[in-house]
Formats: sequence, C-alpha cells, structure tokens
Amino acid sequence: MSRVKRVLGALEKAGMAAEDAVLVLILTGMIVLAAGQIVLRNAFNIGFIWTDELLRLLVLWLAVAGSVAASRMDKHISIAVLDRFLSPTLKLAAKVLLELFTAAVCGLITWHSIKFVHSTFEFGDTMLGNLPAWVFQLVLPVGFALITYRYTLFTFKNFYQLVMRGPQT
Amino acid sequence: MIFVSLALILLALLGAPLFAVIGASAMWGFSQAEIDLQVIAIEFFGIAEMPILLAIPLFTFAGYLLGESGAPRRLVRLTGALLGWMPAGLAIVSLFACAFFTAFTGASGVTIIALGALLFPAMQQAGYPERFNLGLVTSAGSLGLLFAPSLPLILYGVVAEVSIEQLFLAGLLPGFLMLTILSGYSVWKNRAIRVPLADFSWKEVGKALRESVWEIPLPIVVLGGIYSGYFAISEAAAVTALYVLIVDVLILREVRIRDLPRVMRESMILVGGILIILGMSLASTNYMIDEGVPQRLLGYISNFVSGPYTFLLLLLVFLLILGAILDIFSATVLVVPLILPVATQYGINPVHLGIIFLATMQLGYLTPPVGLNLFIASYRFEKSIISIYLSTLPFFFFLLISVLVITYWPQLSLFLVGQ
Repeated sequence: MSRVKRVLGALEKAGMAAEDAVLVLILTGMIVLAAGQIVLRNAFNIGFIWTDELLRLLVLWLAVAGSVAASRMDKHISIAVLDRFLSPTLKLAAKVLLELFTAAVCGLITWHSIKFVHSTFEFGDTMLGNLPAWVFQLVLPVGFALITYRYTLFTFKNFYQLVMRGPQT
Repeated sequence: MIFVSLALILLALLGAPLFAVIGASAMWGFSQAEIDLQVIAIEFFGIAEMPILLAIPLFTFAGYLLGESGAPRRLVRLTGALLGWMPAGLAIVSLFACAFFTAFTGASGVTIIALGALLFPAMQQAGYPERFNLGLVTSAGSLGLLFAPSLPLILYGVVAEVSIEQLFLAGLLPGFLMLTILSGYSVWKNRAIRVPLADFSWKEVGKALRESVWEIPLPIVVLGGIYSGYFAISEAAAVTALYVLIVDVLILREVRIRDLPRVMRESMILVGGILIILGMSLASTNYMIDEGVPQRLLGYISNFVSGPYTFLLLLLVFLLILGAILDIFSATVLVVPLILPVATQYGINPVHLGIIFLATMQLGYLTPPVGLNLFIASYRFEKSIISIYLSTLPFFFFLLISVLVITYWPQLSLFLVGQ
C-alpha cells in the first residue's frame, strides 16, 4: 500500500508540474502570437495565413488543459444545492457517486475521442497547411483521459475514506 | 427517458460537474437517436472553429493579473478624486469603480475580492451603516457586466451568433441605468450622513492621474479600439494581455515573475471550466435542435402567451429562477440557443435579448441558493450568508426595477446600435 501511495504521490507531483508548464507555455505562446501578429501586420505589413488557425487550436488546447487543471482541484462549475441537507456520511457517499459518474462520463468521452482521432487519421485530414490533423486532435483523448484518471482517483480515495474511516477524519 | 433526465438533474443538484451532466445527457440523446457518439468529440473540437473565443482566455488572464497588482487601489483613488465630491461620495465611488473593474475582469467574483477588501473598511470608517456597506459591495461585484469587454457579453455573442461590437454598444445605456439607479438609492439612503468623501480638487485628480498613468491607456486603447472598429475583439484582448503583463510584471513590478504560473493557472481554471461546458453544450444543443426542442417550446409557450409583452414577462420569471441555480456562463451556453429562436418569433431583437438575458442573470449573482456573490462576500467579509443576503435585498429590488425598464424599453438597448 505504502509503495503504491509513494508512486502515486510522485506521479501526482510530476503531473502537476507538467500541467502547470503546459498551461504557462500555451498561454504565453498565445499572447505572444496574438499580439505579435498585430505588430507584424500593422508595422511591417506581414501576415501569416496559419496564425489564425493556430491561435484557434491553442484556444482548444488551453480549454482542455484548463479543464484538466480544474479537475485536479475539483473546481469545475457545479450547482450543488442539495448536498448541504445531507448528513456527513451521506454527503461523502454522494461525493463518491458523483465522482464515479464523472469518471464514467469522461471515460466514455475519451473512448469516443480516440475513435474520432483514429478516423481523422484514416481519412488523412490535414490542418495548418499540410500537417496531419489527428496530431492536433490528440489533445481531446489525452485531456479527457487525464480528467478520467483524476476522478477515478477521487472516487477510490473517498470510497476508501467512506468505508474505512467514516467522514469525520 | 424521463428517468434518465431526472437522474441527471438529481446528480447536477447534488453537485456533479455540470460539463459531465451536459455531456452525459448529450450522449444519451445521441445514442437514443442511434447517432455515433464520436459526434461528441467532433462537436467539442468545434471550439477550435470559433475565432472570437480567443478573447476569453486573454481578457481573463489580464483581469486576474490586474487584480493581483496595485490597480484596484489606484482605481479607487482615481474614482474618488473624480466623484468623491458628490453626496454619499464614497458609495458612488464604490459603485463606479466596481462596475469598471468587473467589465475588465469578466464578472467572476474577482471584483469583490480585489475591490471589496478596500472599499468595505473604508465605507465602515466613513460611517456608513454596515448592512448598507455589505449590500453595496456584494451587489456591486457584478455591476458592470453590461460594459465592454465583459466575458458574459462576449460569450452571449458567440452563442447567439450576434455581433459582439453591437452588444458592446447596446450594453452601455442599460449599464449606466443600473449605475444611476443604485447611485440614487445610495444618496437617498444616506441622506442623514450625506458625507462627501472630499472636496473636489484638481490637485488630487492630477495626483491620482499621475499614479495611474500606466493603467489609463488601457481603457482608452481597448474601448476606443473596439468601439472605433480599429481592433477586432480578440486583437484588443491580445493587446490588453500583453500590455498588462509588461506593465505589472516588468515596469511596475507589482506581480513577481515567479507568481505568474499561479496567476496563469488560476485564471485558466476558470477559462477551462467555462469552455468545457461550452464544448459539451455544443453537442447537446445540436441534439436538441435536431429534435426540434425550440419549436416544441414555442408551441408550448404560444398556448398561454399571446404577444411579446407577456412573453417577456414569462422570460423574466424564467431567467430569475434560472439565475438562482445556474451561473451566468453555463446558463448562457445552455439556454440561449433554446430561447433565441422562440424570442425571435415574438419579434424580440437578438441584441436586446442578450441585454435582457445578462441583466437578469446579473440578479442571479445575488439570489440564493447559488448566488456566487453571496458566497464570495460571506467568505471574504466573514459574515453569514443570511446576513449578506438580507443586506443585498434593497439593491436587488432596485436592480430588478432596472431590469424591468431594460426589458420593456428596447430602445434603451438598441438606440446606440442604430436599429
């Protein structure tokens, strides 16, 4: 058990650093590219056809990376009106159910994203001039797989808590 | 079918992430219609086909960065110098400063945290009753939603496929109406103390201007650029983000470089949270439109609604309830595609509908059980939700009056658009 925990802990740390790095890279790249484009066009009358498409892809990547980061802290937008009426034990049980549900939905989306990327690969669609489109779409299965992983971990963690220790600790 | 819907609603109310609920309902619908579920990935990829979305991460990041810097303090000082001479000066200063800051930071609760912390103690010291202060700071936290370049306006434009430039113009007068009514209430309410903050002095204005010299170009370039048509929205967002980054980190050095990853992560968590819901609802909306939900909705409504006036009343009631349970971003992406076709049938201009929608949803920030501002204020000022809620009631009432005016006086929104 402790070894599993250690490995998971190390993985978590590395994963968090990687997530932060990805967010910083994409956002910085987006700012530089979007602002640089304006300068180039107005000052030097230079424009590239691919910048707009690349910027739109960056928005998608950022959306997915941001969602993964939101999952890490369980900070997704939610309603949560009923849970305050539940007893601590029921509340924890509901949490396990919700996390399991989220993990299942995201797992399903991951699976269908893989199929989506695969069919783009087979059709040989291209983007940004002549680059294979599936490479850019990979962000979907990867991102949703990470969200699935997060919520699966939450599920196990809270289930363990529920069964072994009760909600107080 | 009904069982699945009920189960999903129950999960949502228990606090399941909304994107998962929307995704599940879309996938359920598509699988019932025997459509390959790859469609969910295809629709989600549609995020990469909306150029305007670029503005959302850029403005959000710029807003978070501004909130970390000394800009809120300087903004309060400058507004104080300009408006502090009025009776109940500090209250009016608070309203205008909050509205301005909210417009720039995207109505995400940042205003209460960044400005409320400055204004609340200041008003307390100036002798305003605590209950009034709490109510003012809490409700002012979402004021300014109708001013460019606020995120909800941009998002409505994206979802409704309406010109965002027109929305920016349309929001101006209704936004000022809200500000004026709340300012009037503040003056009247505090007629007994009626303290001007300070006498008007050109010297103080000059000092405050000099102190804010780096922020002043921002609204001029952004708003001037957008309203004159020189910049597209996303270009204005790019300029804002880069400018704020350079000024706050390199020139004024109020945000340290090593804090940047944190600010970036925090702001992008909000962006990711909004866009993943948008992505999922692209799929669910598509399904509902295929199924003819708007038409059925229209048929159902036309049973007991005869004309635009009754329709608008029904719409207001619906939006008030909606705003009490859903945040403004989710409500926009989920509901606008459904009500827009119905409203058009009743002859409501889509730009006007947007202003009605957002103005009403703004009240949702103040209505239990979900009202975001209530929770943030309760957390920030360490008061119970109930006392915060009670303190906002008069403000809620006056905002409701402005919403009624905005709804039944289309010209207020459409005059500047020229329609």
